[in-house]
This record gives sequence, C-alpha cells and structure tokens, in this order.
Amino acid sequence: MNLELYFEIQNLLYHEAYLLDHRLYKEWLELLADDIEYRMPMRVTTETKKLPDIANDSMYFHETKASLSTRVQRLYTNSAWIEETAPRQRHFVSNIVIAPASSPEELKVRSYLQFHRSRASDKEIEILSCEREDIFRKVNGEWKIASRTIYPDQAVLNVMNLGMFL
Amino acid sequence: MLRGRLTKEMFYQMKQKMAEGVLPQWVLTDPDIYEMEVENIFGRTWNFLAHESELPEPGSFVTRWIVDDPILVVRTNSGEIKAFLNSCTHRGMHLCTADFGNKKTFTCAYHGWSFNLDGDLIGIVQGDRLYGEEMDRSKWGLRPVPRVETYRGMIFGNIDPDAMSLDEYLGDMKWYLDMLLGRSDGGMEVRGKPHRWVAAANWKATAENFAADPYHVLTTHRSTMEMGITPMNPNQQRRENAGTPHQVVLPHGHGINIGSFKERPEHPYQHMPESMWEMFERNLTPEQADIFCKANVMVGGVYPNLSFVSPLHGTEGKVHNYLSFRVWRPLGPEKVEVWSWFMIDKAAPEEYKEDAYKSYLGSFGASGTLEQDDTEIWARVVTGSKGLMVRNKELSYNNVSNYLMGFGKVMPDESFPGPGIAYPMIFNDALARNMHEYWFELMTRGLFDDEGARA
Repeated sequence: MNLELYFEIQNLLYHEAYLLDHRLYKEWLELLADDIEYRMPMRVTTETKKLPDIANDSMYFHETKASLSTRVQRLYTNSAWIEETAPRQRHFVSNIVIAPASSPEELKVRSYLQFHRSRASDKEIEILSCEREDIFRKVNGEWKIASRTIYPDQAVLNVMNLGMFL
Repeated sequence: MLRGRLTKEMFYQMKQKMAEGVLPQWVLTDPDIYEMEVENIFGRTWNFLAHESELPEPGSFVTRWIVDDPILVVRTNSGEIKAFLNSCTHRGMHLCTADFGNKKTFTCAYHGWSFNLDGDLIGIVQGDRLYGEEMDRSKWGLRPVPRVETYRGMIFGNIDPDAMSLDEYLGDMKWYLDMLLGRSDGGMEVRGKPHRWVAAANWKATAENFAADPYHVLTTHRSTMEMGITPMNPNQQRRENAGTPHQVVLPHGHGINIGSFKERPEHPYQHMPESMWEMFERNLTPEQADIFCKANVMVGGVYPNLSFVSPLHGTEGKVHNYLSFRVWRPLGPEKVEVWSWFMIDKAAPEEYKEDAYKSYLGSFGASGTLEQDDTEIWARVVTGSKGLMVRNKELSYNNVSNYLMGFGKVMPDESFPGPGIAYPMIFNDALARNMHEYWFELMTRGLFDDEGARA
C-alpha cells in the first residue's frame, strides 16, 4: 500500500469529519456512493467472550442514500430541535488502516472514531466511541464511501440520541 | 411513608390543584418524591419485563430491570416463564451480566454457587465439606419476583405479592392491547434487541409525553411531517376524510389515543399488506377491526412506565406500520434509561418486516427522527424544572403546570364502541390528568387513613 494513497484516504476521512462537525450535511452526502449501505449494529453484552458481541439482527442505523438524504434534509428545516440551536460536535478519527478490497476499484478502510457533542449550556460533553469499517470506491476518479458499518463500544448508549452521523 | 421534607399538607394542596386542572411543578423532579415513587409506584405496580418471543426455547434468558432491581427472566425446561432477582443469594452479587443468551446453569463468579433455570441452588463449591450436609439448599434458591404474569406474550413482574392480578390491573386496556397484539395469527414478535440509551428526563414526563400528549406532535415533530417521514394526521389536516380522533381514558392510569379516518382509507389497516386484512377481520371483533382499519396512529401507555405506539412512518418515501413498546426505566429524578422494542406481526411477509424495521429506525429508537427531538424536549423540561421558583412548595410563583386542555369542555363520546371513557378529541389533557390521579392514589395510599373525610 503506497503512502500517497494512505494520505489521500486519511485526508478524505478528515475532510468528512470537518463537514459533519460544521453541519455541512448536504456536502457530506456527496461523499457517499449512490448505493451506500450505512449500518450501525448493536453492541451487546454476552455471557462469554467466545460469543459475538455484535448483534447483526439489531441495528441503530440501517440506511440507504435515500433515507440518509431524508435525515439530512430534516436537519435543514426550522424545527429539527436537536439542531435548533446547533450542537457543537467533533468527530476525532484515528487508527486508520487501509487494505485492498475484492475489486481493484475498491479499498477497505478501518478507522476509530470518537464523537463529542456539546449542547446549549450543558457542562457535560456527550461522548460516543466506535470502530468503523468502510468500503471506499473510485467513482469517476473520486473516492466515495460505498459502505460503512459502525460498531459502538457501549451496549447502553450514553448519548441522548443518535441524531448525529458517525 | 412520607420521605424527607414531604408533608401531608403538600399532598392536600396537590389534590386541590389537580381538581383545578393544574399540577404543582415541583412534583416532577423533586428528589423526595422520586424516592417515594420507587417504593409506592414501582414497588406496587406491574412492570413490563419482556416479550415471550425474546425467550424462544428452554434455557433462553434475558436480563432486565425494575428500577434498580436486576431481574433475570428465563424459560425453564418445561417451557414456563420465570423471573428472579438477578442477585446471588450468597452475598448479593449481580449473578448474570449478559443481556440475553441460553443457559442451563447460572454460576456466580464470586464463590461459584450455581442455580438452575428454576432458580434452585444446585451447586456450592466444596458445599458439604464447608456447610455440612444439614444446610437446606432449598432455602437458598434464587429469590423469585413475587408475581410474574403474562398477557398476549407480554411478560410483567410485580414486586408486591399482594398486588391485584395483571388481568385485573390491565382491565379494559386489554381490549385495546388485543387490537395491537391479537390481530394476527401467532401474535407479535420482537425483532432485534431493544435499543437502550440514557436520556435526561423524568420518567413521568416521558410516559406522559408518549401516552397522553398528541398535542406535542404539531410542534415537536413538525419537521418529520414536513419531510413526509410522518404522514399528515387526517385530523389536523382537516381533510375531507378526517374522522373523529379519540382519547380513551382507562382505570389504573392506562389509556390510548387513536387518530383516524372517517371512511375506510385508501390504505386500510395502517398500510399493512392486503394479504393480512382477512386475518385481522377474523381475529378482531367487528368494532376493533373497524377502528384498526381506519386508524392513522394508535399511541398510549400502560401505567406506570410502559408506552407503545403503532404509527406510520418511513424515510424512503413509503410508510410502514410497526409496533414499538418502550419502557422508561428511572435512573433518578432527572435520568431515564430508554428501552425501545420493535415488534411486528409474526404472520407478516418477511419483506414487510424488514421494511418496517427500517421505517422504525428512521422514526423511533435511539436514531429515530421523532425520538431525537423528543429527547431534546425531555431534557429541556428537566432543565426548566429544578430551580427555587419551580420547586417552591407554597406555589408562590404560579409554579404549576397547565393541564387545562379539554378540562370540563370536551365531553365523552357515548357512541364510541370501545370500553373506557372516550373523548372525541386527542388534543386533550384528560389522559394526562388520569395518569396523575392514579399516581396520586398510589403515592398517598394509607396516608389519609386516620382522617378519611378530609382527603
């Protein structure tokens, strides 16, 4: 894997984080492939570490570009109260690892994400940490996110809602 | 038992204010009131624990909570549902920490005592040598939740051994639950695990917001109507086919709101597939089938902290029906752990179930667009309800909440076919007042015994 490619993907993830943090959601949508599958399965507590602790029959998000667009457009109305007034949010992206995918036009991209949100005068910052597995695809010379799976670290989320994109 | 700085006088005043259609605001998040609620409300009423479909086979278990009591719900080898305090009888350790699973034996990680699915103590590490054969193991089994009863697959537990039966407690609410849970062959099933997250809210406010407050939809959820995630309510649209919506008030603080079309709509039975209509009509009474056929939304609550909604939503331009049950587990006067289940007719086509699950995620549950805005509203209610002025118990600052909508104005609709008191208006505080009255009854049980007439 060459350094230039790694740098390009890292920059794209940082750019994505910037768009989300600045609530440029329509611009964010443009980074997504038209057939994107955007999923966030639930983390669960199981009896032993031998059992999987991701419940693939249980989702927080199971979105297409159409449903993500609906969610985005809602945030541009005057009565989406989670963003009225605007929350201050940060997406900290780290631990990026890229690997070849099955198609030469695609790349597997893994990253860690820590999300911070501050609302109104609240003294406490809401925090959500997770791991992401993405597939990036080259479409007309540009990288697009073709698939994203978000694995949260908590079984009981300590954020008021999942009004953010991860 | 009155807690902390609470006095009988405060409850007299409360009663008087409630009779005027208002509620002292300090009651919402007062810490002493909260302590009393845990005992008087949650220690005496039926708490929703699980749905039978979450326990598909012998050995299936889920772990749940009644406020701070950890509860282990199991299906035994004979297929029976049992619920125990999820705490080892030896030294009180939280026995099973998993959310769900399948086991024959639960072994404590502290000293290794183990229990079977019937709660019997079946193993003590070096037991005979250390305790002698004379220790009666049958006295040290898992402590059962005193009462566990089920209605149409919904498993409830009650800590009060003398409580009225679940059947009696639900009463006429069953007629409406039948409409939701009994419409399909095989009943309903839970899909996926319940969402769980922590909201800044008081449990009374969330229960009331869900069960008794269709009025908030106009403002809180305006954005979802603008986006078509929620179809416009025929009643507020004043469309030609707008029917009469009903808010039904039932004993023990239960109730339901039904928004409806006047005539059979283009998509009857809340957009459920046509292949299921005949089955609905077969399983329901003609009156229930007629209500469901014309319904736009059905939303309500089983007191104290189980709410449900059977709506129409979608984020991809098409709406689907589903049933969400939710429990508001109190974590303190200003904190709630929300549990949200997705339920769908077992008999529904698999494709519809999948689409309905996506519509649920887009509307309710942790990422739901309606739920998101609700969480913001609940948090702001808490923020606005804890200062000196709001918490003033003499009510010197007009610090009462307004429950005057429909008060003495909206009269029951005698022609409504279902049981209970049905008001022909869902923008109505009758159900919220009903919840307060049952709350008051539970909170003051025995308090006025020595001076009955005055209370």
